[in-house]
Amino acid sequence: MKKILLLLLVTILSIPVLAQETNVSGKVTDEADGAPLPGVNVVVKGTTNGTVTDSNGKYSLTVPSSSNTLVFSFIGLVTQEVEVGGRQVIDVPMKADITQLNEVVVTALGIERKRNELPYAAQQVTGDQITTTRNANFVNALSGKVAGVDIKTNNNLGGSTNVVIRGYKSITGNNQALFVIDGVPVSNANTNSIQQRNGGTGVDYGNAAADINPDNIASLNVLKGAAATALYGSRAANGVIMITTKKGKKDAFSVVVNSGVTVGVIDKTTYAKYQREYGAGYNPGFYSGDLGSGVAPVVQFDADASFGTQFDPNLMVYHWDALDPFSPNYQQMKPWVGAKNDPSEFYEQAVTSNQNITLMGGTDKTVFKLAYTRVDDKGVLPNSKLEKDLINFSASYDISNRLTVGASANYSRITGVGRYGTGYNGNNPNQQFRQWWQVNTDIKEQKDAYFRNQLNISWNWPDLTGVGPPIYSDNPYWTRYKNYANDSRDHYFGYATMTYKITDWMEAIGRIAFDATTDFQEERVAVGSSGVRFGIDPSVAPISVPSFYSRYNQSYSETNYDLLLNFNKKISENFNLTGLLGTNVRRTRLSSMKAATNGGLVIPELYSLSNSVSPLQAPLESYVRVGVDGIFANANLGYKEMLFLDLSARQDKSTTLPEGNNSYFYFSTSGGFVFSKLISASWLTFGKARVNYAEVGNDPVPLSLYDVYDKPTAFGSVAMFSLPNTKNNPDLVAERTKSLEAGIEAEFFEGRLGFDFTWYQSNSFDQAIPVNLTSATGYVARFVNSGEVENKGIEISAFATPIESENFSWTLGLAFTRNRNTVVSLYSDAVTNVQLSDVINPLQGSVTTNAAVGHPYGVLKGTNFVYTDGQRTVNSQGRYIATASSAEIIGNPNPDWLGGITNTFNYKNVKLNFLIDIRHGGDIFSLDQWYGEGTGLYPNTAGLNELGVPKRAPVAEGGGVILPGVKQDGTPNDIRASNQDGNGTVFGYPNSPPRAWYVYDGSYIKLREVALTYSLPSAWIENLRPLKGIDISLVGRNLWIIDKNMQYSDPEETLSSGNSTNGYQSGAYPAIKTYGFNVKFNL
Amino acid sequence: MRHLIIIFISLTLITSCVDSLDDYNIDQKRPSTAPAETFLTASVKLLSDLIATPNVNVNNFRLYAQQWATTTYLQEPRYDLTSRIIPQNIWQTLYKDVIADLREARRLTDEDDLIAEGDKAAMIAQLEVIEVYTWFVLVTTFGDAPYSQAMDYRNPVPVYDNDETIYADILVRLDDAIASLASGGDGFDHADVMYDGDLDQWIKFANSLKLKLGMLLADVDKAKAKQIVEAAAANVFTSNDDNARFPYLSSPPNNNPLSANLNPAFSSRQDYVVASTITDKMNALNDPRRPFYFTTVNGEYKGGNYGFANAYGDFSHTSNKTIAADFEALFLDYSEVEFLLAEAVERGFAVGGTAEEHYNKAIEASIVYWGGTVADATTYRNQASVKYTSAAGTYKEKIGLQKWIALYNRGIDAWTEWRRLDYPVLLPPSGGNVPVGLTIPVRIIYPINEQTLNGINRQAAADGMGGDLATSKLFWDVN
Repeated sequence: MKKILLLLLVTILSIPVLAQETNVSGKVTDEADGAPLPGVNVVVKGTTNGTVTDSNGKYSLTVPSSSNTLVFSFIGLVTQEVEVGGRQVIDVPMKADITQLNEVVVTALGIERKRNELPYAAQQVTGDQITTTRNANFVNALSGKVAGVDIKTNNNLGGSTNVVIRGYKSITGNNQALFVIDGVPVSNANTNSIQQRNGGTGVDYGNAAADINPDNIASLNVLKGAAATALYGSRAANGVIMITTKKGKKDAFSVVVNSGVTVGVIDKTTYAKYQREYGAGYNPGFYSGDLGSGVAPVVQFDADASFGTQFDPNLMVYHWDALDPFSPNYQQMKPWVGAKNDPSEFYEQAVTSNQNITLMGGTDKTVFKLAYTRVDDKGVLPNSKLEKDLINFSASYDISNRLTVGASANYSRITGVGRYGTGYNGNNPNQQFRQWWQVNTDIKEQKDAYFRNQLNISWNWPDLTGVGPPIYSDNPYWTRYKNYANDSRDHYFGYATMTYKITDWMEAIGRIAFDATTDFQEERVAVGSSGVRFGIDPSVAPISVPSFYSRYNQSYSETNYDLLLNFNKKISENFNLTGLLGTNVRRTRLSSMKAATNGGLVIPELYSLSNSVSPLQAPLESYVRVGVDGIFANANLGYKEMLFLDLSARQDKSTTLPEGNNSYFYFSTSGGFVFSKLISASWLTFGKARVNYAEVGNDPVPLSLYDVYDKPTAFGSVAMFSLPNTKNNPDLVAERTKSLEAGIEAEFFEGRLGFDFTWYQSNSFDQAIPVNLTSATGYVARFVNSGEVENKGIEISAFATPIESENFSWTLGLAFTRNRNTVVSLYSDAVTNVQLSDVINPLQGSVTTNAAVGHPYGVLKGTNFVYTDGQRTVNSQGRYIATASSAEIIGNPNPDWLGGITNTFNYKNVKLNFLIDIRHGGDIFSLDQWYGEGTGLYPNTAGLNELGVPKRAPVAEGGGVILPGVKQDGTPNDIRASNQDGNGTVFGYPNSPPRAWYVYDGSYIKLREVALTYSLPSAWIENLRPLKGIDISLVGRNLWIIDKNMQYSDPEETLSSGNSTNGYQSGAYPAIKTYGFNVKFNL
Repeated sequence: MRHLIIIFISLTLITSCVDSLDDYNIDQKRPSTAPAETFLTASVKLLSDLIATPNVNVNNFRLYAQQWATTTYLQEPRYDLTSRIIPQNIWQTLYKDVIADLREARRLTDEDDLIAEGDKAAMIAQLEVIEVYTWFVLVTTFGDAPYSQAMDYRNPVPVYDNDETIYADILVRLDDAIASLASGGDGFDHADVMYDGDLDQWIKFANSLKLKLGMLLADVDKAKAKQIVEAAAANVFTSNDDNARFPYLSSPPNNNPLSANLNPAFSSRQDYVVASTITDKMNALNDPRRPFYFTTVNGEYKGGNYGFANAYGDFSHTSNKTIAADFEALFLDYSEVEFLLAEAVERGFAVGGTAEEHYNKAIEASIVYWGGTVADATTYRNQASVKYTSAAGTYKEKIGLQKWIALYNRGIDAWTEWRRLDYPVLLPPSGGNVPVGLTIPVRIIYPINEQTLNGINRQAAADGMGGDLATSKLFWDVN
């Protein structure tokens, strides 16, 4: 941070040197490491005479005889006054100002402000904090570090990350934070299909913000509220993550090399545990047949459940491999026992290599930076890998004292092979492992069966002939090696900018910023697979196909043209005015096409559209453009650096609104009061109170005004057209969020202790969104301006340095977030609920996510328990009774609060850092348990009951299960419910128990990050010139889930970023513990 | 300095301003206009798909009628209507896919000044017949439903109308359509994949539909039923050539949904076998349709145990004929019409002929339709157990049984006729691990998402019928 500040001052300040009498020179160094500090102000006290240090930290100035004191100052460092005392050489070591309250933060549009001037909440994170554990996706590394930000990461290789700041505001629209890199808004959209996001067939391709190189980040500032983001306009209504990249320094050159490797293994506490007593079948029993060694029992291959016969090592039966002609067990019987290797053995060790080199430097007029990062990420699933090449270049050149030009160009190429299939989908191996499995199947034997001949020899034969594809579940290795997806994304972003200093208090900035992605994705299902449900048209439910190939091409671009007039004027002794006037022109364009084969593939393993059995259906095309023109102004008036008033206003005109009614205006007003200026107490270092009110407008998504038709594939030569699912609305108006925020921040004991407390409330009105309708209206959704959602909450960030001595220090950081979210009203008084989960591609398990009036956003609905005197009620068979209504609220996916605690210990050259990340509350419906308990996979479905009799024995023999609860007459339940077989079980889906039974509390406490860093002593480095430093780190992520309530899963796991499926898990991937090391060389 | 400011300003003005980008909000890839007739084809296709599909998420009526049984998963044969969103899929298809497109076709036809008034009336009549058919399916499946306030996106919470009221109204609409069809104009032709614009056939179809609608009222309002049936009887189907059918094509997505779900060329799943309920009956009657209906196991037609697990390899499956990609689907056929006429005679309605004549024609039409010969039919119906005069039971039993056999693979109609005639006797599964007290649904519950989308009106309708239950009988199902 400090270095950036130095750089800024170097570029901005040029205070003339005046000739005087005594000449004083010297060198200013960093007290911490002795490095020279360029750009430090050196002023003769009481005068305007002064200079700044050069790139070597050296200065020289003449001091008038009347003065005897020099003031050395720089933002972020403790200002020092030094007596000249007749000396001619004065070397000054300077100390970092830990309070950081004077630090410069980057606010909307890249405007830099001193932190004490800010009348709204903003939390800065340094690049080092992000890169500590070498996570290739920097967004994930923010979890637990920033108050007010809810980050949910799934366990997919390169999966998308949900980033929601201060709660969900838009009912069905975008709720993701905006990412801005050096003033360039960068898309964080994911390209995941609607089927994928609703738990159907698909792959999570991640989000584009993950293409940002973490090693290129100097600092990151989170703008949370509407007041902070009003200048960005509508798209920043969900908060902004402002990223400032590293910049070169003038007259210097440095090279940093980072080299790290991490390995990952699944956290078995987040994976299924299997009962080990009963094998294949929905009912006990075997088929009978002669598979080569005489007539004997044959495993029920076609039953994807484990409610079969009890294991008995003395019983010899034909297993699936008796039908595999290449297996050593071909035509052989084997004992009837549980598998030695359960599906957790399917997961391999992940390996990530992260290599980065950054070159930075400059001359007296130029600075540049060139960085290259290569990430090779092999996932925990077989045949999965992700490769990233990230190239960053930026440079600036001072054409004259007044004119500076700069440009940045970034290119990321991400290629993925075998990204994980998600949801209820044959290409997600967890569908079989967690839901439909035979616990007698040994995963290593499945592996051998596949690798012998690369054939789809699965445990799930359709019958005893050993012919044909598996009935439901492919060999999971076949799935991974034959039915994989591959993809590439080319991501280009950058800017060209010109800054002209009109006067010493005003500058003009012109900037063109560009962001573009080109995505290419291929998915396939090989001939010989059991097939999947697939369709390219999201408005039509997918159908079964035996094999397919699909490709998706998307190109997206956004161009922003900004013109800003920035001013900073001291109006009088006490008043200072900073502000800006500006215009922004934004144009985005998205063009995509998805095509797939029809009716299967002719030639196996040839993946091209022409290899389609039947003529192709028309591809799905889209072409979407948006234009927004904005003008804006901002003024910040400061009085004695104590009182600040900030006003901003913006007017936007958007093409997504109806012509003639397409502009909307909004504003923010904020006040800050640095009360520590009035209180002189030694314990109070700094204190500020702030309050602000802001309104932000937002335009609808494009193409939501005018109606168009769907065009299904023609019926032979007869054309068909059809009404679309969603009714558009030509009367849409801009939506609006009103927010009020108040906060107080203070530091005590010279910065040893500090906190920042913020209270906020935001109400979003007139949301222009598609709402689901009863299909009795002729549509399933309609665009409307709808209702009001309220978010209010508190954010606390705090830090403390309990111990600080010469060799040892301990600092603590805390981030706490509590958001309460309520759907206040919907688009009509008669409408009290909007279903969020898709109605065409509904969530499996008959649960829905909803915006219900008076309730938190996203509540889960489904059948509930019937309660008698507060107790769960059972029926005459001892099974839980479900409510007739499926509209019962059975869960709230929003957490009660989030917390993060960072501890840093420094002892000499050793630094230990760890982060504990806490999420409290947030409910999750688990389709995995719903099906998996129904098929008898989990330990609770087997074992002994309280009588010591097997639960799976007939009730007449003392078996069965007594569920906790009461009978319908209110007396304690004493009915032993039958649990004999997969259709009569009391557990899981078969007899449709209350969905509420499979809703789990998603709380967790995780040891998120651990890093132990050792900086080689400088004495050693001396011998290794030109090396300036070597840091060696041991790092770990997600090493330990200290506590959670969801037994067999990672409560953080989700299908995809987005709105509809928070609080829903299907085919969940386990959490990955990563360990590794990193070596950083400074040259 | 001035130059520079000019440069900056021109940077931002390179692009044109928003007001000149008026085509940005126009979808470049999808049309805002389309010919009216194309909506007729789309709606008929989707209606046919719903009726024909055996997809467990949509159409389980072959199970409820016990023509089929399942192999592994027993939720649907045990009448679980909530594990999957079956009601929603039916409801949504009927309203959103079928009726909405029919209404759009009608709107576009109405607004087209280039169509002669007489042709317009005929076209709208074709749309009306399909719409009446759709409402018939909807009302006989769910009971009360949004009707008078339906199909209006501006009203997100339409009230549910009484099913008897809706039924009366669609009968009036059907009469109007019949009149229009006969008034001399030309209807939709190329887009009419059922009859290719032959309005005489449409008149027969509309009258046959009217006959079917009228007979539904026979137990609850005999006088009205008599009047409707007698008015329709003269103009109904007279041969299998008249059948209202949907001609599927051999390649997806226009193949028969049966093939999409059951043909090994499209799916590896083995979810269904035929039920012993029907194979036992047909075996006992030496039914010549068996080879056209079922596959054999060791040369026998052997059905699985309804409501229990059945090993796929041990039992007969639905025939290869039925899972052919281009196997046609039936909306209404001649055999069904003759059964209705037989019943009408028994009920004392003046429709001509004797019950036995109609009964015999019905059976013969079915056997010949499926691939048998007239001789097969004669042999079959001459058996004492089939012969109308000697077969056991009341007319409802005799017609009920034979109609149920003839309505093989037409689950919705078989289920509705079973509810109406109460024969053959079908029993819900019981014993073993079957939940106690199962009853065969006599209606389908409202979709779960009606609770989240139109909760108050759904609740009012539910209260009106004594609860939104699969056991709540509909107004015409009085026995």
